[in-house]
Amino acid sequence: MATVIPVDEFITDEWYPGFKPGYTHAPWYVDPVQTFRKEDEENFWFLDFHWPRGLTPMGLIWNEDGYNWACQLAAEQMPLPPGRGITCRLGGTHTYGSPLPVNDPREIAQRARRLDRALPPFLQNFDEIWGQMREEVNESWDYFSGVDLSALSLADLRENLVQARQYHKRAFEIHFQVMYPLLANYVGFYGMCTELGLDPGQISKFLQGYDTKIMETDRELWRLTTAARAAGLEPVFAAHEADGIRAALAAHGGSAGGWLTKFDDFLRVYGWRTEGSCDIALPSWNEDPTPALGTIKTFLQKGTEHDFEAARAAAIDERETAVDAARSTLTLEEQKLFDGGLASCRAANFPWWQDDHNYYIDLRISLPMRWACQAIADRVGAGHQDDTLYLFWEEIMDVSSGRRSYGEFTSLVEQRKQYFDYWLQRRPTMPKVVGTIPESVNDPILIEIFGLNSHFLRAVEASHSGGEIKTLTGVPASKGIGRGIARVLHNADELHRLGPGEVLVCESTSPNWTPAFAKIAACVCDGGGTLSHAAIVGREYGVPTVTAVGLATVVISDGDEVEVDGGTGRVTVLRRAGG
Amino acid sequence: MPEADAAVPEADAWPGPLAWLDAIPAEQAVGMCGAKMGRLTELLRSGVSLPQGFTVTVEAYRQHCDRSGLDPVIDAALGGLGADAGPGEIETAALAVRAELAARPMDPDLAGLIVDAYEELSSRCFDINVPTAVRSSAIGEDSHAASFAGIFETYLGVSGPDRVLEAVRDCWASLFSPRAVGYRLRAGLRHQDMPMAVGVVELIHARASGVAFSAHPVTGKTDRVVIETNWGWGEAVVQGLVTPDHIEVGKADGRVLRYQVAAKKVVSSFDYAAGRVVETAMPARLVDRRVLDEEQIAAVVGTVLAVERHYGYPVDVEWVLDKYRRAGEPVCVVQARPVTASQPEAALPTTWNPAAMAAKHVFGR
Repeated sequence: MATVIPVDEFITDEWYPGFKPGYTHAPWYVDPVQTFRKEDEENFWFLDFHWPRGLTPMGLIWNEDGYNWACQLAAEQMPLPPGRGITCRLGGTHTYGSPLPVNDPREIAQRARRLDRALPPFLQNFDEIWGQMREEVNESWDYFSGVDLSALSLADLRENLVQARQYHKRAFEIHFQVMYPLLANYVGFYGMCTELGLDPGQISKFLQGYDTKIMETDRELWRLTTAARAAGLEPVFAAHEADGIRAALAAHGGSAGGWLTKFDDFLRVYGWRTEGSCDIALPSWNEDPTPALGTIKTFLQKGTEHDFEAARAAAIDERETAVDAARSTLTLEEQKLFDGGLASCRAANFPWWQDDHNYYIDLRISLPMRWACQAIADRVGAGHQDDTLYLFWEEIMDVSSGRRSYGEFTSLVEQRKQYFDYWLQRRPTMPKVVGTIPESVNDPILIEIFGLNSHFLRAVEASHSGGEIKTLTGVPASKGIGRGIARVLHNADELHRLGPGEVLVCESTSPNWTPAFAKIAACVCDGGGTLSHAAIVGREYGVPTVTAVGLATVVISDGDEVEVDGGTGRVTVLRRAGG
Repeated sequence: MPEADAAVPEADAWPGPLAWLDAIPAEQAVGMCGAKMGRLTELLRSGVSLPQGFTVTVEAYRQHCDRSGLDPVIDAALGGLGADAGPGEIETAALAVRAELAARPMDPDLAGLIVDAYEELSSRCFDINVPTAVRSSAIGEDSHAASFAGIFETYLGVSGPDRVLEAVRDCWASLFSPRAVGYRLRAGLRHQDMPMAVGVVELIHARASGVAFSAHPVTGKTDRVVIETNWGWGEAVVQGLVTPDHIEVGKADGRVLRYQVAAKKVVSSFDYAAGRVVETAMPARLVDRRVLDEEQIAAVVGTVLAVERHYGYPVDVEWVLDKYRRAGEPVCVVQARPVTASQPEAALPTTWNPAAMAAKHVFGR
């Protein structure tokens, strides 16, 4: 009997107080964004780790443009034989995703033939294809960041917002058009390597050591760290929390002034970046530089300089050593196959792209819409710049066209903020998956990015059947064994609770969690794969890391003593808190 | 050891009760000498190194049954058993036949021939009472259909004419162990269709022994040779009493792909007091020591590939590394047979096909 986790607690027609979408709310390719209905229980839904805080009404645009348009479209253009991409349902403000299967064997065979023809040329010409796409994304970025919104009329702001959304939608079409083929190639290569008897923990090393835009940002942050130390500003950083550093530096005067000029120069280039993926509710570093200053503060505390050239050389050396060691265990026939797969995965390098594209798309593509929404908020006299993020698309279109006045929404916006907070509090106790647990999933995004492998699915079943679980298995992401007291964190606001030598347990990490890796003994994530943020940073910092554990934040309690084996993917609860 | 192209004597000497390994036409070998010994004769032509020895042929066994009046005894005891016979029933009948076998002396002429051949073997080996391996070699064992693996007896280290004669009779008797009788009943084989030849070959003084497969015994991959090896004789490996060192070698270039040194807790060694090979605890300093060096691995690989070429299909070979072997000399083959393993999996694709790999590892799940 399949395990079924009920969806009843989420069944409602209302997305937020005062909003029930009409049938034509937003276009979709295969299946629309909806709230849960009872029949959804027949399918399998997983809580999406990308938005641990939940999404505001305007933030739900990502679901509409991302999963239910771009992802589903990409799964048709370069067809996944057995799947039509991902759809989603809302659990309050939170997103549950689900694969859309193709079940007809004839259609699956036809889609497989289309993929056979389309995939090789895409991979072979990847450099050129991604180059053109990046150019398109950058060209529009330059346009939107060059517009002086203060000079626009309300009607023009409305038009700007419409254009910004179209840009957002197009960027995610590009995102998924690239992601599916790269992932299919990478997961196929990973599977072949495993079949050839290669150590799965080594496979991601074969593709490391290539510079990305995210690494470029980190390098600049280290330069600023060195400059801060040289300017004698270490005590200022040490004496203040991250959100007070900017004011403290301004008040400090002297060398701090020169350093802040450098910092502002840095922000002009690298500051158009949010602290999480694809969320209009998140400010950029330019709007709120606290995360960047916090990172520099942590780098200063580490004391030693990070030698990027040495780290890069070491990564390349480790890559070449891993490849040589792997090849030495293969027959000549196997080597030929391995070399072909490796060359293909290097030419169209998923791990590299996974880091690189975040800079161009996920971490900044919501900003033009955010700016327009904030400008509209100013223009219509909203109490707070972010208030318009609590309007749905139709509502802000009405307000900005003058069909309705913002005043009609002020109390509703307050109710919706409370609704957001209610679901933010509820998130830690929400089920990781609902509906019917399948034997396996075959969408490469769900396998690699969400880690929905058989370990995950079996752990969910075991947990649901009520047995006490002391051992969990996930994806071995960064080798080594770490032991310590678990800190189960639900979002980055709680990072201050994490002490040195403790084990970070969370749904997933994003770039603002990076500094924490300097002090933890190990990291365990519910989601992710070998290439998720925690996996990449865990390897960089030498922190034993296991991802895709599925139920770590459910099974492990704050204060438990745990052991994390990043080589085997095993996580063991050694002693219960207070036990 | 005989040369590969040893002269074959006049064929009109056959069928006879004795056959030297190097003196029987290969096409008659399996019919006269049973599966194991017959194959060794065939293998002489492949150029691999074999121990010297002779076979007490199926003709000798038939003569013994005939002259000692065993045939009617066998028919009477076993004729009534069907495929559904119970274990108790089988055991009673089998033990009755063995008691009769033990009670009836060997024809003095045949015994004289065997003793004479044994003395000739000693002399060929420049030894007195040369220690031998006495191996059962029944017709129809080791076939593709029924392997009879481990059903019949082998005695290692048998020395002196009396012990050799006794070991030959023990091999004959192993045809009628309850296990062997039960196996034939289940396989639907007639007891008379499985006469027993017995090989008497010099015992190679083993530094190390093992088995080598010209295809992976589990995955069926034919691009590699897989070797399992232990110190001393190969019995502990063959009987699964020890976890042996595991080695994989690429066929195309002879490169060692993996060498897993096992903790080898048991060794088959020669017990001089008892005059036979016995299984004992491995001396501590040998437990974790790597058994084969690169040159020895290459010699084993060269041998198993020669055998595979000879037969034209994947084989498994039991081999022995002589204590006195020097680098460059061959290893000795003591048994060879077709690989009885899983079917080879679909051959590896020769070029990277991303869609096919994705279909296999992503979409196929």
